[in-house]
Amino acid sequence: MVQKEQEWISIPMTVDVPYRFAAGQYLTKYLVEMRDNGKIFAVKCPRCKRVQLPPRIVCAECHVKNEEWVELAQEGTLVAFTIMYLPLTDPTTGKPHEPPFVYGSVRLDGATSVLDHFVNVEPDMEKVWVGMRMRLVLRPKEQRTGDLSDILYYEPLPGQVRPK
Amino acid sequence: MADRVAIVGIAQTKFAPKRADVSYGEMAYEVIEAVLRQTGLKMDEDIDNSISCSHDIWDGQTISDIGITDVIGGHLRNEEKMALDGSTAVHYGTIGILSGEFECTLLMAHTKMSQTNRNIVNNDAFEPIYTRLLGFDYTSAAALQARRYMYKYGVTPEQIARVVVKNLANAKKNPVAHQSGDFTVADVLSSPLVASPIRKLDIAPDTDGAVAMILASEKRARQITKTPVWIKGIGTCYDAYYLGDRDLAGVFALEKAAAQAYRMAGIKNPRRQIDVAEVGDDFSYQELLWMEGLGLCDRGAAGRMVESGATEIKGKLPVNPSGGLLGGVPINVYGLNRVAEAALQVMGQAGDHQVSKDVKVAVAQGHSGFCGQHQCVVVLGKE
Repeated sequence: MVQKEQEWISIPMTVDVPYRFAAGQYLTKYLVEMRDNGKIFAVKCPRCKRVQLPPRIVCAECHVKNEEWVELAQEGTLVAFTIMYLPLTDPTTGKPHEPPFVYGSVRLDGATSVLDHFVNVEPDMEKVWVGMRMRLVLRPKEQRTGDLSDILYYEPLPGQVRPK
Repeated sequence: MADRVAIVGIAQTKFAPKRADVSYGEMAYEVIEAVLRQTGLKMDEDIDNSISCSHDIWDGQTISDIGITDVIGGHLRNEEKMALDGSTAVHYGTIGILSGEFECTLLMAHTKMSQTNRNIVNNDAFEPIYTRLLGFDYTSAAALQARRYMYKYGVTPEQIARVVVKNLANAKKNPVAHQSGDFTVADVLSSPLVASPIRKLDIAPDTDGAVAMILASEKRARQITKTPVWIKGIGTCYDAYYLGDRDLAGVFALEKAAAQAYRMAGIKNPRRQIDVAEVGDDFSYQELLWMEGLGLCDRGAAGRMVESGATEIKGKLPVNPSGGLLGGVPINVYGLNRVAEAALQVMGQAGDHQVSKDVKVAVAQGHSGFCGQHQCVVVLGKE
């Protein structure tokens, strides 16, 4: 005897909520310096002296107001990375990033925090490693828009050999 | 275990239609810095619990508090989040102190309504398989409630318009209010219809802002301030989720929340014992409905009470002398602002909108969900 299959209803819906997020005092300064002057600025806690990215109003450890700005070098060290096989979506464009690609966490020289971004390197475990020296690459000035996409990616400094 | 809990500090931003100059963390820090300065307390030494209050979909970030643990003192410490109206943060913070676990709790509610669209956000409160497809939002649901209330009790559009006239006039005296003015009943009744019978001036406007408050155990409160405001009673209650299950002209959840708070506060006759009320007038008619739910008058009598002038700032029982939410307060912040304004009345520090009578006991009411599904009542008093 053939049994009729039970029907279950589900309703497709895209929960589409538009936002416009205010960058505020600290991130506006950071984004404007990057867009207009090609500089990366961080804040330094007056008490514990941590140099934090992204710049923010309060040092979480000391609960004091951050008021000192310091310019960071645009070279640093890779402290973690992943080779991505998921086509994650860029929420500002709705378009996926083409896998495989590499995300990296780089501590720019002089910073306490790390800054995560794409790494322009072959997605190959032999070609990327923790401890690798990296350089930040910004978009050409005339193409910058005042958001984090003004950073194109990190790229390895030339002439590095993977440690044995 | 602490016997009593007091409000020992209050700070509010100026409410504004749009704060493009601050991120939400920076906006929160404005009131946190101000309330710490006012009380002389230090985050690391004095504050042992923090509670924030906002909403993930409003903030556009899952777990709306995780991005601001630094400003609210939650870094490597305890921090809790209420995804309900700010009045419930007072409830939750009070319980934490009464339990003996904490002595000094920072509450902070924040929302920037300017960053998204209220109708779309509020639509997501409705059940996805059921009425969400109609496009329902809080305003359309409120219109059904207003109609039901007016039909059942014969409340008139003129009586409801009087709430707007009173509150926007009161808001002129409140430096943090975002809108105010001298309006007539005719002005209100000729403002554009949004969802009949609700007109533009009947709706609390989109606003950005934050409120911070510090609660303390009795022992700590005595050390911190000379004007502690005691939390005398507190109660909360949920009504049914589906509008179709509720009698929209009813105020069952509020009556239960109020009964709980009044029992704790020893209030037997709210009409006599309560000196001033700050209630959640998200929509003008709700001020009348909630007055009745709080037992400040008989069912169906609030419209006549407003007409009589009894709820004016100089009246027998002032309601929303701050200008209420119609003066402009962000959603999620609504209830903490209600409690803050009621506490300022008890302290005698409400400034130009201080009521003329002596305030010994004040009541604040906040609610969340469409048509006041969740209700929270806080009774405040002097010694």
